Amino acid sequence: MSNYALRLIAVATTLVVATGIGFVVKAQLIPDSFGKYGHYRANAIDEEVQRPIRHGTNTSCLKCHTYEAAIHLKGRHNTISCEFCHGTYADHVSNGKKSGTLPVKKNTEISTLCLRCHNTEIKARSQAVIKTVAMPQHLESQEVKLTHTCNQCHHVHAPLKYINRAKQITGLTEAES
Amino acid sequence: MSGFHEGSAMLLSNFVLPNDLHVHWSMMIVLYPYITGLVDGAFIIAALYYLFDIKTLKPVARFSLLFALAFLCCATIPLLLHLGRPERNFNMLLTPNPSSAMAGFGYIYAVSMGVLGFIVLFVYREDLVRLKQQSRGMMKLIYRLLTFDCDDLSPKAMALNERLIKILVGLGIPVAAVLHGYVGFIFGGVKANPTWSTPLMPVIFLFSACVSGISAIVLAYIVIRKLTGKAIDGPCIITCIKTLTGFFILAFSFEMLEVFSHSYLKSGYHHMVEGLLNGPLAASFWLWQVKICSGIPLVLLGVMAFIKLSQTRYNLLAAGVSAILLLQVFIMRWNVVIGGQLMSKSARGYTVFHPEWLDKEGILSVIVVMIIPFVILFVLGKIFPFWSDDRGESID
Repeated sequence: MSNYALRLIAVATTLVVATGIGFVVKAQLIPDSFGKYGHYRANAIDEEVQRPIRHGTNTSCLKCHTYEAAIHLKGRHNTISCEFCHGTYADHVSNGKKSGTLPVKKNTEISTLCLRCHNTEIKARSQAVIKTVAMPQHLESQEVKLTHTCNQCHHVHAPLKYINRAKQITGLTEAES
Repeated sequence: MSGFHEGSAMLLSNFVLPNDLHVHWSMMIVLYPYITGLVDGAFIIAALYYLFDIKTLKPVARFSLLFALAFLCCATIPLLLHLGRPERNFNMLLTPNPSSAMAGFGYIYAVSMGVLGFIVLFVYREDLVRLKQQSRGMMKLIYRLLTFDCDDLSPKAMALNERLIKILVGLGIPVAAVLHGYVGFIFGGVKANPTWSTPLMPVIFLFSACVSGISAIVLAYIVIRKLTGKAIDGPCIITCIKTLTGFFILAFSFEMLEVFSHSYLKSGYHHMVEGLLNGPLAASFWLWQVKICSGIPLVLLGVMAFIKLSQTRYNLLAAGVSAILLLQVFIMRWNVVIGGQLMSKSARGYTVFHPEWLDKEGILSVIVVMIIPFVILFVLGKIFPFWSDDRGESID
């Protein structure tokens, strides 16, 4: 057997040994609880359970904000979570006490927020589910200034509150909640 | 009030679901099959010489191996750039899931890297031993490692070397085919996308890979030899072009066959595919991929096959055809990867894709990713001489 052949056998043996070491390292690196229930790390379940809860429900918010509750629960937005527009519950309350102030949207920020759902460009949901508008055509058709923001006509918690009140006063049409 | 109109700038048509607006698999996923394809095609050229004994390919055989190796080194870069948390790809490789093909690429890639690396070492053995004896310092250490610290060039040792080359190249062909066929399979396996979900996908990818790889070798050979003032081997270019012609006819036929079968079978989503090819992809598919980048090469390849040309003209045409075909395959990958995502799952609307310059997966990144293999090739060229006539005589 030539010198070269012997050397190649040594190289091949090294490769086999390296592959073996690779398998050992692989076995070491796989987390212990992997595969206990399925193709994932079983301990991940406990870790997820330990994760602090960041979100609250509307009941949590409206317990303190009774004035908003009275309007919100009667309006078209009654199924919308407070956190959608105001931010995360945990940034505002911790251990049952106020711990921070949530940012308040103002001026055009409000309109941008509204159009996240109410923009006609978002074609995934039908008009029957969410009323959508195109801007500035909507402002033009309502004959208001193009600088008007949504909340100048629509109450953000009950979008038709002022509209219906206006209709009642002018006697234009019947009231709608 | 400009914030109001953000949505209206998007050129959407009909009904596009919100999670379909953005093309998630963008240019890096176009580059990924393109790079593996170049590796595959370049390897085919080497295999034709080392396994099937097509002697005229000798001038480019060794270079093809280095070219394939340089590009194979970069095959995972686009994928890792695409991932938000690239380091997590190792988790997938540690615990591969039998019901998901995604981890497969890591293993196939590792095997092809090993096989190609050893083929290069065995093919270059004689040169490496000679260079080891001539070099000093760091380079000598590198050559000692690459020759397994053994100077044995006896006829018996070289016969063993020859046999190993044949075995490894023989093994390398299915490995290269699996490496690139896998990419096509991954696309073909996406059941939710009617343009991808066809068993023809791996076949089309494989043939177009051969086209791009052979074109790249022809173009690189002609350009590098011209720039370094060395002679271009006529018979070698002729054999390359003949092989390229065969593979291109197959690749183009299958590309068209796929469109034809979509159109003839009129399957559930046919109207979407038809609308896609005649709508958002009308320019990039019919005009660029089919008419310009396939039509012109077909005519030129025909001219080169049937009309007697001087070798200089033949070489010039060969370089031109190769450049167009490299573009054809890139556009084909683009039309498959990006084009396939322009249809909404609603089956009723199309979205648009705007490449960005400075994005993580933008045009600049594409350029950088495509430059890296050439840098690697340049470095490899310092260790492994590209051409067998670099020392004035034949090696193989």
